[in-house]
Amino acid sequence: MDTQDQHGRTRSSSAAPEGETGQPRRAHNTPRARRRSRPLLLAAAAAAAFTLTAGLATPLNPAPQQAEARPAQAKDDGKKTLTVAVAQSVDSLSPFIAQRLLSTSIHRLTYEYLTNYDAKDNRAIPAFATKWEPSADKLTWTYTIRSNSKWSDGKKATAADAAWTFNKIMSKEGTATSNSNFVTNFKKVTAPSPTKLVIELKKPQSTMAALDVPIVPKHVWEKVDDISKFNNDKDFPVVGNGPFILSDFKVDQYVKLKANKNFWRGAPKFDELVFKTYKDQDAAVAALKKGEVSFVAGQPALTPAQANGLKGESDIKVNNGPGRRFFAIATNPGARTQDGKKFGDGHPALLDKRVRQALFLSVDRKTIVDKVFQGNAVEGAGYIPPRFSEYTWKPSAGQELTYDPKRAARLLDEAGYKKKGGKRVGKDGKPLDFRILCHATDPNDKAVGKYLKEWWGDLGIGLKVNCLDDVSVPWYAGEYDLAFDGWSVNPDPDFVLGIHTCAALPEKAKESAATDNFICDKKYDELYEKQLAEYDPAKRAEIVKQMQSWLYDSGYMNVLAYPNAVEAYRTDQIKSLTTMPSAAGNIYGQDGYWSWWSAVPASGKSSSDGGSSTGVIIGIAVAAVVLAGGGVLIALRRRSTAEDRE
Amino acid sequence: MTTETASVPAPQEPEDTTQKPQPPKEAKSPRALAWTRRRHSAARFWREYRTHRAGLFGLAALVLIALAAVFAPLLVGADAQSVTEAPGEAMQSPSGEFPLGTDQFGRDLLALLVWGARISLTVGLLAAFLSVAIGTVVGITAGHFRGWYATVIMRVTDWFLVMPTLVLAIALASVMDRSIWTIVLAIGVTTWPTTARLVRAQTLAVESRPYIERAQALGGGHGHIMARHVLPNVMPLVLAQTTLVISSAILTEATLAFLGLGDPTVVSWGGLLQDAREAGAVSAGDWWYLAPPGIAIAVVALAFTLCGRAVESVLNPRLGVSR
Repeated sequence: MDTQDQHGRTRSSSAAPEGETGQPRRAHNTPRARRRSRPLLLAAAAAAAFTLTAGLATPLNPAPQQAEARPAQAKDDGKKTLTVAVAQSVDSLSPFIAQRLLSTSIHRLTYEYLTNYDAKDNRAIPAFATKWEPSADKLTWTYTIRSNSKWSDGKKATAADAAWTFNKIMSKEGTATSNSNFVTNFKKVTAPSPTKLVIELKKPQSTMAALDVPIVPKHVWEKVDDISKFNNDKDFPVVGNGPFILSDFKVDQYVKLKANKNFWRGAPKFDELVFKTYKDQDAAVAALKKGEVSFVAGQPALTPAQANGLKGESDIKVNNGPGRRFFAIATNPGARTQDGKKFGDGHPALLDKRVRQALFLSVDRKTIVDKVFQGNAVEGAGYIPPRFSEYTWKPSAGQELTYDPKRAARLLDEAGYKKKGGKRVGKDGKPLDFRILCHATDPNDKAVGKYLKEWWGDLGIGLKVNCLDDVSVPWYAGEYDLAFDGWSVNPDPDFVLGIHTCAALPEKAKESAATDNFICDKKYDELYEKQLAEYDPAKRAEIVKQMQSWLYDSGYMNVLAYPNAVEAYRTDQIKSLTTMPSAAGNIYGQDGYWSWWSAVPASGKSSSDGGSSTGVIIGIAVAAVVLAGGGVLIALRRRSTAEDRE
Repeated sequence: MTTETASVPAPQEPEDTTQKPQPPKEAKSPRALAWTRRRHSAARFWREYRTHRAGLFGLAALVLIALAAVFAPLLVGADAQSVTEAPGEAMQSPSGEFPLGTDQFGRDLLALLVWGARISLTVGLLAAFLSVAIGTVVGITAGHFRGWYATVIMRVTDWFLVMPTLVLAIALASVMDRSIWTIVLAIGVTTWPTTARLVRAQTLAVESRPYIERAQALGGGHGHIMARHVLPNVMPLVLAQTTLVISSAILTEATLAFLGLGDPTVVSWGGLLQDAREAGAVSAGDWWYLAPPGIAIAVVALAFTLCGRAVESVLNPRLGVSR
């Protein structure tokens, strides 16, 4: 499912190191070396001047580029390529393992799912299945599989492939990492005929029209020895039946997809789709300005400064749609395994609900939206973003934990954490100090961390912002007090609700598991079971809202904001594409394949020259001066030792 | 590369530093005499130093920046780093109210620049002292003990010498907590080998003098010889080395902070550059955010280098004679 995104635990890796510093290499200057130092200085100044001018031609500078061919447009062979700059890296290309947004988006494009979501209203619509109906007791579901879908190696895609895929996930031989929540209630899956798929259930399950499971070709995957370790990146092109075919992949460089001309819904208009990795969002923006990429994914969203800078450019459109994601602070409720064994070192004070609520009461969410997101987000409330209007929930006036530091202080006093000399001290005499896990690659985490430190500092609570490139290790080990958390939500909320159930807890301590934050509560689990078994949409939505209300009161998941998806594309390369929802929606990381499938290449040469920006040149010049300065220092010293070598 | 046999004349005559009783001229205690001598040599040092114009310029710049850093709370206000009480709007360009504009939180960039000097200078100084301290201890012991100890310790030094400093520092900084102490440690433990090699060469030269043999004959132990005879003689070299290491430590600190390995909650110059990049100041062309921290780093590093070179040429008689 397209759930885990940039913000989840499995995210890792980051900025490649660059730049250099000189080692002091000291020796005793000979008189000769000494006398030389004046001409050397002159030479150094010349070198600095040279570096300065050289700096103007760095790839960051978008000015001198008219002569350049636009690679994303039409190449010599007339192939139309759409290049998308993404910041995330692929965790796995296997549909059984992949969890990240980029990987699951690629699966959406390369494999068919039983159903798809309508771009207009998120309604389930036919995809691999043309029709689906339950039996009277709603425990047997029959899907009619389309007969006009073919695998890219020429074989026909049938119900047998779908049955094999589901059975493989149900076998749980390390094959249910990404999709286990869909098959928990499955009893048996069979394919009586090539166009008929029958799923028998143990208990009613409301997500039957929203099974976000990529169907893989049985005849290819049967031959794989160990699916739990197979990453599907050996033989290209990878056999699939989606609108695109996975044709090449290089870790942290690119993923190439070519159009599937035989796709039953119609071939995509672009011949090739390339996801190119840019670890640095600013570099991606510069590439967009130059025309090297056609699209910059809003994951993470473009910063307000970047978006404002791009708005002034001709031929570039900035799309600011409501996001699918929530941005929250998760509170460690005491990590434990399924059989109740405790592990990790979460702060014991956080086991007190009053402390958790006090923390949330002293967070001004409006300021975060205004200052950190600069308006490109919606203030947080319930767990599910307002974009999914049927499930979203807002606390009532009495229940709402609005920004109220005085009430927070009262709650902390009640909980036994009195203020002594500016610090809250527990009954055991220890000051109240928390750690918060933050993603070193996400500027928003760090920015919000600064605010939290001050707000909680006023309250007498210490905070240590612990930014890591890969937060998954301490996270799985339960070694955190608080953590920045965020998930992309699907039109069907089952997955994001399921990650807080007891069943999602790890079997062994410190093992990876489906659980988000080690929450395990009987009442919540009962509600979860109830919503999963409820077929009436209105009643189910009601239960989902009750679950959100419980989560809100518990203080385990403090949703701060729903960030917008701020993304940008070149209109001289992409004429049009479908957003989702089609009126004011997002483009990258949709629930369906609409954006890339529907993208229409722009015809004709562009007249834009990217526009030069004096500011950028000055910035680069300054960077060059700094580098040159360092270089001169080193050169001077290197030189003096060289004299000594003789 | 300094060879081990490079013979450098001792910057000071042994009589200057040993505790040999002076012939009693007047009724002055040995201690008072020592102090007078030290005062005189300090004055001589300053007289010599004054003749280096570049050194004076560097010193003036350093004093200015150090004063700004020390009196930052008085100059720009104690709450300049606060995001909740930021005075301006986000990313304002320079104006009368904010001479260098504001950052993405609406904080005054000039104030942040002044505050940033604190962290950059502190980390630079501490890291340089740590590095030179390790290097001096390793160098003196390796030069004094020789034998298998020296062989082993010098191979370790060689190994650290060929390791790319930045890569090692990044590796260290990324496995430990994000704090300024981590940065200090990461720089300190990766940049000591050059000092160690220099100090060892000087130690070898000092130890070959006859008076060391005399001290040994009179019953001076290892500790006595290293602390009382060798250390005072390598001190000038160590001093000059320290001032020069500081500038590279400041550059390394800025690099690490820029790469996002610093403590995100404190303001440093490298951290400001990193913040600017994350806020998209590069692609938006907000030069006022990028330029000042970069220039500040360059100026401080240059100032320390100028001072270091001046100190070195004062303390190294061979350089002094040539002038």
